[in-house]
Amino acid sequence: MFEMLAYDFMQRSLLAAATVGAVCSVIGVFVVLRGLAFIGAGTAHAAFAGVALAYLVGLPPLPLAIVFGLATVWVTGVMEEQGRMKLDVSIGILYTATMALAILFIGLMKGYNAEVYGYLFGSVLSVTPDELRVILVLSMVVLGVLLTFSKELYFIAFDQEMAEASGVPARRIFYLLLTLVALTVVVSLKTVGAILVFAMILIPASTAYQLTHSLSHMTAYAVVIGVACAVGGVLLSYGWDLPSGPAIVLLATTIFFLSVLLSPKRRRRVQTA
Amino acid sequence: MAKTIIRFDHATFGFSDVIALQDISLDITEGEFVGVIGPNGSGKTTLCRAVLGLMQPMGGSLQIFDCACEELRCHHRARIGYLPQKGALDRNFPITVLETVMMGRYGALGLFNRPSKRDRDIALEALSHVGMEDRLDSALGHLSGGQQQRVFIARALAQQPDVLLLDEPTTGIDITTQHSVLDLIRHLHRDLKLTILLITHDINMIRSSVDRLVLLKTRLYAAGPPEEVLRPDVLRQVYGKDLVITEKDLILVEDYHHHH
Repeated sequence: MFEMLAYDFMQRSLLAAATVGAVCSVIGVFVVLRGLAFIGAGTAHAAFAGVALAYLVGLPPLPLAIVFGLATVWVTGVMEEQGRMKLDVSIGILYTATMALAILFIGLMKGYNAEVYGYLFGSVLSVTPDELRVILVLSMVVLGVLLTFSKELYFIAFDQEMAEASGVPARRIFYLLLTLVALTVVVSLKTVGAILVFAMILIPASTAYQLTHSLSHMTAYAVVIGVACAVGGVLLSYGWDLPSGPAIVLLATTIFFLSVLLSPKRRRRVQTA
Repeated sequence: MAKTIIRFDHATFGFSDVIALQDISLDITEGEFVGVIGPNGSGKTTLCRAVLGLMQPMGGSLQIFDCACEELRCHHRARIGYLPQKGALDRNFPITVLETVMMGRYGALGLFNRPSKRDRDIALEALSHVGMEDRLDSALGHLSGGQQQRVFIARALAQQPDVLLLDEPTTGIDITTQHSVLDLIRHLHRDLKLTILLITHDINMIRSSVDRLVLLKTRLYAAGPPEEVLRPDVLRQVYGKDLVITEKDLILVEDYHHHH
């Protein structure tokens, strides 16, 4: 079991998975509580379109993924604020439009590019030392900002108008949260892939949501669950020769359903019913 | 002579093409208990948002505290404790009573400052003012409607405000609890010397508690002691035939739509 830890690639992928698991689950707490799940899913596809464009024109993928992700998340944020159209409709349009862009860019490429598909499906076992460095640095930035503004972020997740009314610059904090969601998606693209990244953001936080009535506990539980699933998924992937992204996400999904079944909130409801 | 802390001077508020409040002139002085009444859609909630600095006047001016700023800055907002209309609280939202009340400190603390022991003490004191100090770690969603209202009032108090702004504090809770919430508000007015601005559709509930009533229906129809405002000729301008005056001289304004 432990001899695999001697491989450099294995150390890198475990470290990458644990980092992504941690940053995704912390941001996930705010995404779940503020009700931004669909916005994030759209962002992941937009970021992938950025990656595809980068490979098409021969630029580094990360900056373009960030640009596409940020543009989408800010546009949807404005749409949520204005509320002119139902949000699920407008995000549904953006979501598929960016995916169409991604398919268009891939179609324009000459020949098959395996690396692009790595961003779509995730390949944590092939994370390079350079990519790991980027993941670590960006994750530290996201976690640092989350920690710095955690009290404001909790407040807007609970009640944005109340936060504004009591002197918190709630709008600016909301856009900061959207920005961090986009950065988190980009950080995680290589590890779990554009299709699955949102599971890593939603599942640990939703699992923790089932288990506690306290904001601080929810965050702590989410991190433990997120890191454990990411590391466990990589080990499963290595041990049984499974694709890493699905291994992580399906492990997390299993734990989520267990938590729903065993949730103290659910028990209370059954008792009072 | 008490100090004026909120001054509407011919102020008009609205959204692009709809005018919600027109030509309002009103001074609120320190330590007053003011009740704001009016039918649905009369601009009560707009008045509330204006006082919170969430809306700027389209015409005229609004001054809050000693500064003439057009837009309330964050540190001014923290001096107004606000109890929003009881919305549908997600009963599963994972937050404890203490965590809820601590949020009242966040605006006053400002960005980059973390809550200290002192902030926790302020939150605990706020909870003891509303009689909820033994429920610190309870889940907010498990409390009754009246208890949740108390916790939200404690959150407003944790801001250490000068003004307490309450939007329909007794709507959506049972009648016994309504009286105990109102008793609590009276106690806060008396003991903490807070200026109270209470917005309600329930005139009977507050008529004996307030120093002054303000009667709104887009315009300001009357402002003065309850016995001056609660006169049939004054009220009829605003409520029309919805007004019922009983034999015992009690004034009932039935506002059926409010509960739907």
